[in-house]
Amino acid sequence: MTNQPDPTSSAPLTSASAAVDASEQGGISKKGLSAGSVGLIGAIVIGISCIAPAYTLTAALGPTVSEVGVQVPAIILVGFIPMLLVALGYRELNKRMPDSGTSFTWATRAFGPWIGWMAGWGLVAATILVLSNLAGIAVDFLFLLISQVSGNPEIADIATNPFINVAVCLLFMLGATWISYRDMQTTQKLQYWLVGFQVAVLVTFSVAALVETANGNAFDATPIELSWFNPFAVDSFSAFAAGLSLSIFIFWGWDVTLTMNEETRGSDKTPGRAATITVVTIVVLYLLISVSLIAFAGVGTGEYGLGNEDIQDNVFFHLAGPILGPLAVLVSLAVLTSSASSLQSTFVSPARTLLAMGHYGALPEKFASVSPRFFTPGYATIVSAIVASVFYAVMRLLSENVLWDTITALGMMICFYYGITAFACVWFFRKVWWKSARNVIYTLLAPLIGGVILAVLFFTTLIDSMDPEYGSGSSVGGVGLVFVLGMVVLLGGVGVMLWQWRRRPAFFRGETLSRAVASE
Amino acid sequence: MNAGAPTTSAASGTDAAPRRIVVGYTANESGADALALATRLATASESQLDVVMVLPSEARSSTVPTDVGYERHLKARSRAWLAEASAGLDADIAQSLHVRYAESFAEGLIAAAHEFGASLIVVGAARGGLLGRSRIGSVANELLHSSDVPVALAPSGSRELAASAGVSRVTAALGSRPGAGVLLDAAVNLTKTLRAPLRLLSLVPIDLPSGMDEGLAELTGTAHADEVLAAAKRALPAGIETTAEVATGDTIEAAVRSLSWHEGEIVLVASSRLAMPSHLFLGSTASKMLRELPVPMIVVPRTTAGSRPGAGSHTGAGPRTTTGESTS
Repeated sequence: MTNQPDPTSSAPLTSASAAVDASEQGGISKKGLSAGSVGLIGAIVIGISCIAPAYTLTAALGPTVSEVGVQVPAIILVGFIPMLLVALGYRELNKRMPDSGTSFTWATRAFGPWIGWMAGWGLVAATILVLSNLAGIAVDFLFLLISQVSGNPEIADIATNPFINVAVCLLFMLGATWISYRDMQTTQKLQYWLVGFQVAVLVTFSVAALVETANGNAFDATPIELSWFNPFAVDSFSAFAAGLSLSIFIFWGWDVTLTMNEETRGSDKTPGRAATITVVTIVVLYLLISVSLIAFAGVGTGEYGLGNEDIQDNVFFHLAGPILGPLAVLVSLAVLTSSASSLQSTFVSPARTLLAMGHYGALPEKFASVSPRFFTPGYATIVSAIVASVFYAVMRLLSENVLWDTITALGMMICFYYGITAFACVWFFRKVWWKSARNVIYTLLAPLIGGVILAVLFFTTLIDSMDPEYGSGSSVGGVGLVFVLGMVVLLGGVGVMLWQWRRRPAFFRGETLSRAVASE
Repeated sequence: MNAGAPTTSAASGTDAAPRRIVVGYTANESGADALALATRLATASESQLDVVMVLPSEARSSTVPTDVGYERHLKARSRAWLAEASAGLDADIAQSLHVRYAESFAEGLIAAAHEFGASLIVVGAARGGLLGRSRIGSVANELLHSSDVPVALAPSGSRELAASAGVSRVTAALGSRPGAGVLLDAAVNLTKTLRAPLRLLSLVPIDLPSGMDEGLAELTGTAHADEVLAAAKRALPAGIETTAEVATGDTIEAAVRSLSWHEGEIVLVASSRLAMPSHLFLGSTASKMLRELPVPMIVVPRTTAGSRPGAGSHTGAGPRTTTGESTS
């Protein structure tokens, strides 16, 4: 972390720091942090695997269609803009204050402990929401896969039984926790294959949908129009905002490629290139799939229409069969592997933030513990897993459209903490805005505009989601479930924060992590 | 970071350099066992301790994005762990502390041993062993299959024995197979450095091909055992206090249990014939011994003990193809 006393400065340990540091200078491979780091292709593969396009689209396409109809491609293109702007600010912060607490640490530095604490809470809440959603999608596809392989369509319906569903989901979570706790990594080669497979299946799926449409076998053939790419064709600003906050979710995870390898020697261009190639691949894939699926199924509310509420929370699950026939099993496999590898990379993020929060005294110290054997944030990982599991179980019983509602709430949470991060960037660098043209763009304009967009999205979604008809139409006490969910998460955060303030005042007095400003 | 301090390895490689022992340290009980054993050996042999923590290298990451902030945290944490470990050590012991990055713990330790010219790697062997007995953990296992430097396995509970206890006896477990010569050399070197008495232990009676007629096995076994011990004794230089024993029992486990063990004792075994020349590989006899041994075990590669890469000379054994098991 950035500002803790060097534990090795006491007398008998000079040799330790000497040995550690000297070896990093020596240029001998495998010793230094940066030596032997992930290369360009590795970074792209990790980036795509973190975004998990197969999982993301099956979860987000339906809800997005329900908001903006055929203008999904436009929303995908526009949704990338705030993500890019904020990611640029994120990169500046990461360069200046690399810290495993990311948003939490940076917001604390810029705005003080209270806002910092809430940013950390927002990040943890968002990742925990997505963890439960990922596991939920994986459960659906597991049963679908079994039913496809065994040729018994009834098996796929078992996933709708809430108790079996929750039980299997908890098993998934247990497995992912085990893997994350032990930091088990697949070999790079296998990971390349998995990601390659995922992309190939998605392309096949899209092409098959277009071919079927051309052959007149489409469910509801919809001629492709240029207006699909026009964001101004969306009916209302509310729909536009809701669609946008969903499309932020689909690019979420991309920022990691931008910040990976920052310190890698002699590869200044690698992170930028990796991020560019990753995002181009992803955008092309998303456009291809959304266009082809809309062309094939339309946005109506018929059996396979993308407007059909019954299929919206998991569209690939319902459309793979009609489009690919026997090959639908490939889609199940792709989504399953995609969610599985994404589960692991997603686990890392709340765990590391919780670790930083424990480290700086914003949460109990236990959260800061690192497994001495596996070098992972063990306690924080397990807590994240338990919270995500409980959350999923409760949501599954509360809502008939749990996946859909979690995705919408997730978009809101991402807007919340990402927005704070963007403003933290602007504020932290306030004294150096005008030092160079580069600073004007990267520390002022980009994060400011990005932050404002996210803030608008956050508040619009929050207000609109009070409507009980919002999203999937689930409601609690006459108020939309998404709103209730968002409020419970945020107010719960405030409650826990106040509790921690009583227990651990040092952090809230700024004693462990002080406010700072970049001055050069 | 990069303080331009002198490298600690600059002094190694010269004749004046002290013997060095690499400890694979982790901040848990297994690491404490390793450190305690290494300290005991270093105290007895006046060696320098190189306490090494091996962190996972970024390059092994295939699914999880790397994070500079977290890596820094890990590094700081590891240094703090090393500092705590060092604070618990006797200040008289020459020691240096290191953080290294590698794709695996074993790989990092072997690289560190080469870098420092260390003559021994010490790791905690235990992972859920029962009653103080060792079961080989995955780390120790990997090390035993790839190291060309002798490896000492500290059974769980090693940390309860004080460093000042020294080494009360060295037991060299001899099988019938080639490799004994190397083992004897290593044992002699070790007893000299540690100033400890040597016990030659013949495992011949139980180190025979399975399925052999029992009576015959006993007969040839005992005779052969005496022969091996006699030959070993002749080969020893004068001035070493030596005793000899023949292990008996139906199984290796029973044989090990029936022997008496001193508290500060260590056992030396040779690497398996299946190992590549000058690399370690624990044979099944040694594995079974390890499970029962209440004392640390050092596994010696087939070539000269402590040989460094490139310095490896002859291979002790020809390509014999007997299928029996050996100590090694």
